[in-house]
This record gives sequence, C-alpha cells and structure tokens, in this order.
Amino acid sequence: MNLKFHWRLLQGGETIGVTRATGASQRATGLPDLERQIAFCRQAEESGIVGLLTDIGAAKPDPILLSAVLGLATERIEFIVAYRSGLTLPTTFVQQLNTLSALVNGRISLNIVAGHSPVEQRYYGDHLCHSERYARTEEFLAICHAFWKNSGPVNICGKYYRIEEGKLNTPFISPRRSYPELFIAGGSDAARSLAISQGTLWMRLADSPENLRSSIAPVLDAGKEVGLRMSIIARPTRDEAVHAAYELLAGLDPSMQDRENEAHFRNKSDSVSINATYALAEKEWLNPWLWTGAVRTHGAPAVALVGSFEEVANALIDYAEVGVTQFILSGWPKLDEMILFGKEVLPRVRRIEQASREQGRPLIPHEHSNPSYASRAI
Amino acid sequence: MNSEKRPLRFHWSMSSVGEKWRGAKSRAAQSGIPDLEAHVDFCRRAEACGIDSVLTAFGYHRADPIVLASALGMLTTKIKFMVAVRSGICSPTVLVQQVNTLSALTNGRICLNVVGGHTPEEQRGYGDFLSHDDRYARTDEFITVCRAFWEGNGPVNFKGNYYHIENGRLNTPFLAADRSSPEIFLGGSSSQAFGLAMRHAHCLWTLPRRPEELATRIQAVLASGKEVGILVSMIARPSREEALSAAQSVLAEVGDRARRTHQDFARVSDSVAFTSTLALAEETSSDWLTAWLWTGAVPYLGAPAIALVGSYDEVTEGILEFSKVGVTQFLFLGWPDLPEMTSFSKEVRPRVLARYNADSELSPVAHIHEEAEIHHR
Repeated sequence: MNLKFHWRLLQGGETIGVTRATGASQRATGLPDLERQIAFCRQAEESGIVGLLTDIGAAKPDPILLSAVLGLATERIEFIVAYRSGLTLPTTFVQQLNTLSALVNGRISLNIVAGHSPVEQRYYGDHLCHSERYARTEEFLAICHAFWKNSGPVNICGKYYRIEEGKLNTPFISPRRSYPELFIAGGSDAARSLAISQGTLWMRLADSPENLRSSIAPVLDAGKEVGLRMSIIARPTRDEAVHAAYELLAGLDPSMQDRENEAHFRNKSDSVSINATYALAEKEWLNPWLWTGAVRTHGAPAVALVGSFEEVANALIDYAEVGVTQFILSGWPKLDEMILFGKEVLPRVRRIEQASREQGRPLIPHEHSNPSYASRAI
Repeated sequence: MNSEKRPLRFHWSMSSVGEKWRGAKSRAAQSGIPDLEAHVDFCRRAEACGIDSVLTAFGYHRADPIVLASALGMLTTKIKFMVAVRSGICSPTVLVQQVNTLSALTNGRICLNVVGGHTPEEQRGYGDFLSHDDRYARTDEFITVCRAFWEGNGPVNFKGNYYHIENGRLNTPFLAADRSSPEIFLGGSSSQAFGLAMRHAHCLWTLPRRPEELATRIQAVLASGKEVGILVSMIARPSREEALSAAQSVLAEVGDRARRTHQDFARVSDSVAFTSTLALAEETSSDWLTAWLWTGAVPYLGAPAIALVGSYDEVTEGILEFSKVGVTQFLFLGWPDLPEMTSFSKEVRPRVLARYNADSELSPVAHIHEEAEIHHR
C-alpha cells in the first residue's frame, strides 16, 4: 500500500493566496464555479491525487450536491465530503450519501467534523456545546454504520436520535467498499476517541513527527489510520521555497485585516485543534521544514512543509515512518502547488516507497481500512 | 390583479421511471438505486414534450430526490425539477443551502413539492415521531424559516416549537433568471394541508374528484390567490375503445397481488389524500366518477392512479372541465410514462391549449396574482 494524497478542492471565486479574510467575505465562495472546479478535478486526476476535500459551511455551497455534479464530469477522482452532525437526521444523510455513491460509482469518502463554531451551528438550529456535539456525532455515525451494514431494519433509541425500523432501499454503492472511508477530523481527545470508535482514520492538523508519535499511538493501536491536514510549499531549492513562504505573507494587505479576521474567527471557535495550532505557531519553525508562519493569517491548516522537492518528499516519508498513511494537502495557489506536487514531489515519494518495499520493509505494512463490515467489528 | 387567465402548466412524475409497474409493488420491494440513463432519457423527452417540470419523489424506497436532481440538472438544459421535500428530516437551513446550491448549478431549474409525510411508520425510520397534525405544524415552521432565508432581509432569527435558528446566514443565494425563491407546491387533502398551502405555497397539489365536488373543496384556496393543481394519471388513445381496453389491460397486468399491497399500505398511512382516495375507489359502486375519470386502477396502483381515460378529445374535455373550476396545473403519470407523455404532447396538449386560450369562459376564477416575494428582474 502506498501513501494516499488528497487535496483541497478549489472554491468558487478563489484567487491566489486566499486567506480567511479575503475568502469568507466574498460572496463568490458561496457559488459553485463549475468550469474552473471541473478543470481542477481533472488536473488532480492527472497529478495522482486520490480525493478532493469538499468543504462544508454556511459560506459554501452544499458539498453533497457539488460532489455529485463534479463526479459526473470526472472519471477517477474521489470526493471527500465534509459533514457535520446536527444538520440532518442520520437516515436522511445516509440516503443522500448512498444516492451520491450510486451516481459516481462509490468515489466518495467522508470527512466528519463536529463543527468548529457554536455561532455557525446556531444558523442551523444546533445549540449544543463542544462535548455534546461529539457525543451526538458518535450516535450519528453509529446509526450511519447500522444502515451501511445493511442487515435489517435499524432500531436505535439514543440520547440524540431515536430511529424505529429504519430502512433505506438505496445501498452504498462502490466496487471496493460496502461503506465509505470515514475520516474523523479534529484535534481534541474527543475527536480521537470518535475516530477510534466510529472512523476509519483520524485526520488531524500537522505537528512534527516526534510530537505526533504519542498522540496518534492509540489510533494506530486500534487498527485505524492516521491522516494529516497540512499545506505544502515545495520548490526546486530550499531557498526558493523559503522565499515563496515569506512572499505569501508579504503579499498580504498592509492594513493586516487578514490577521484581524483570522483572530476574530479563532475567537468565535471552540475547536481544540484550531486553538492548539495557534499555540504551536508561537514558534515559527517546528523543525527545518515545518513552518507555522502562515497560521495567523491563513488559518490552522496552513502549517506547511517548506523546502526543496527532495526535502518535502523526505518529510512526508518521515510522517509515514511514524504511522501516517494519508494526507489532505493544500498550497498557494492550490492548483499550481498541486501540479508541482504531482510532477516533482509525488514521484520522489513513490521511489522511496518502492525502495523500501524492495528492501523488505515497506513503509505501510498492510491495507488498513477494511472495506467491508465482514472483516471488522464496530 | 387583472383578469388575464393563468396559463395552464403541465408536469410529469418521475416516480416510475425505468420501471412501468413500480407503483404496483410494495415499497419494500422497489429498488432505490437510481437508473441515471433512464432518468436522463425521460427528462430529455419531457423537454421535447413541453413539460414544465418533472417530479423527483421522496421516500425511503427511493434515491434522494435533490441529489438525483442535481445530477440530472447537469445532463439536461431546460426541464425544471420539482423536488419533493419533507420537514422533520433536516434543518431548514440545510434545505435552503441545498436548494440554493441546486439553483446555482441549474440556472434556477428547481421548484419544491412540500409534503407532510404519509406514513408514521416511515417517518419513524427517519427519527420523526410526530402525529399527522403536529407534522403540519412543524412543516409550517419549516417553510417559514426557509422563506425568511429567501426573503434575504439579513440574518434569520426564529424561535418556534420545532426550530430555533439564531442569526442564520448562507452565502449561496437562490439563483434564477426570474425569481429570488423557488416556486412552492404543497401536497395534501387535509384541512391542515389546505391551510398551509394558503399561507405558504404558490400552488396546492391535490387528488382529483368530480370537478363540481373539487370546486367546493378548493374554493378557499383559490380565493386566497393560490393556484390549485391535481395529481392524475392518464390513458389517452385515438378512440375511447382503445383507451378502455388499455385501462383493462392495466388491471390484468398488475393483478391481485398489487391490490393487497395497496390495502396493506392504506392500513398504515395517515395521509388524508391517500386513504380517502383509496376508500373512494373501494366503496363506490362504479369505477367512473365521470365519463372520463376512472378510479378502477386505484386499488392496484395507489391513490395517484385516478386516471383521465378516453379518446384524445375526451381527455381534453376532462382537463378543460377541471380548468373551469380553477385547476391550472397538472401533474401526470402514465403506464408507461414515456409513450403516454409523447401522445399527450402530440394529441392532447395542443387541443387543450387551443380551446383554453380561445374560450373566455374557461377558468373564470383565475387571476395573475402579484406575489410580493417574487421579484422579476
């Protein structure tokens, strides 16, 4: 098994180096931009990217419908649909997702988040606190699994949901799996526990490989995968990459509205991982290639691998050696960085993986994510 | 208001696309896997036949209607999608976000068919345990919240018995050439459904009865300035004999098992529209409510199988009789749908429109109603 690399989908109206200030304030992010997004999906297929993260939020179009139309216009690329509990009842959600799987031949996985902002959750009529949102998400996913197992009517009487004789005639359809890969995103202990109990993978924000080791051990011990959400600035030489990183900051509005907006976003958020990443960013370089300089202006997922193609490839392998198997990456601009990644970084990663296999010590020893319920207990 | 006649509009149901006798099977036995190719073919034929919109129905035994509609929207150019919506299965904010996303993807080719749910058993499978009347009360709140988003007067704040929305906002607006919100159809025959249609909908969908009987029922809805439409099946042939023989072969083909299936359904449904229509069909001595309105297939294919049956001229007459009591929209089904839709388009629709547009006596109660929430650009 090889490392799997995903990318963030291009958003409507997105321009170079978009920050939260320039992004969320644009009405354009609320509109699909099919022409550019389809071209982006096709380039991702060309660049060896497995899946594209389709955001969820009040500022964005609905990710399930957007994935359906992009899926019809593409052949291989998968869509990692971001979703939150508290928006839709689980039966409805499974029906929508299964319908989507049938339309795009199973090219669907899920990135489940508990919601990062109580303010935004209330737009949707959801008034639960952080820990309750996790408890509800646990129940939500347990019900989803019960439908995907497809072994008779679903009956659950929980704290948040009560389902009686739930049935759906539309199954999850995929040539490879009987239910979607379930990434559980979030840095809190609650998110990690949820990944272990209901997910196939824990998707967290980056830290140095040494610091990750202890935090991800329980997930790996439970037989689940670990993924990292991070950014990349890879250039022919280290100097060029570092220069590009600082250019990114230099290009910002001198009024520093970006910094203020990002601080405002952070103040509204009760996300553990977003706040922890800000704390991490007190130190600009966590190791020679792990840079936090863009976090204060571009948000927590902007922790970036910065270096030559060789250095970035090796850094990704360092993560693989502590047990990370999948990545959701992004860059500035998203498209250009993805093309460079596919051309320069990915072939180097694959060569190292191949060499390790030939030496009899493959980086990823076995297939992690069991594709059907027959081979796992949930 | 002016006294100009409302145009007649024709829609077709996709509830049986790709499977002629789907309606004869129990819901549990129906496939929920969407046959994309058959649906696309159907939509393109509907475009060619001058059909206004196609209904994507809702139920646990079907693919999700709004996801299916977004896929079909990509593969078609003109046809609108009438997406069935139930309250109680998602947050109204989510529905608005999905509807607006679909509008942006299809240039506004979406309208909504809001239904209250017809079977408590099915609702419980979604986690909804409310009674018939409470479902309507919740639907009222649900549409109120949705309309507040579409009205677009700043953040949405709403606190009711069922929903509590605080400062709700969405960046995806409803996008269409001629509207700032989707047209809302609302289905049902109970007094709650009628009340809800008068408050929130553009058009009430109901099931047919004899026109004079329907006239009394829908009077209040029409008086409130809303349209009324009927969900009705059709068997139109060159001659009455051919139509009657086609009607008889429907019964022969679906058989007694289908009859038991629908008796079973009637026992668990709390829908006034469905159960009263099934009772009507079972109890009346004749299968003919008028010379062209046949209930014979209802026990086998369910309430929406009340059918206009006859020669092209007779079916035309039937549609015009309904238009005289104020019915201006029609949602059709056929067995199978494609040939029926084609002959409707070739033979019935031109006859209906020629007479409707020429005759000043038809549809005397209809008005073009200026609705405040629709801004013509």
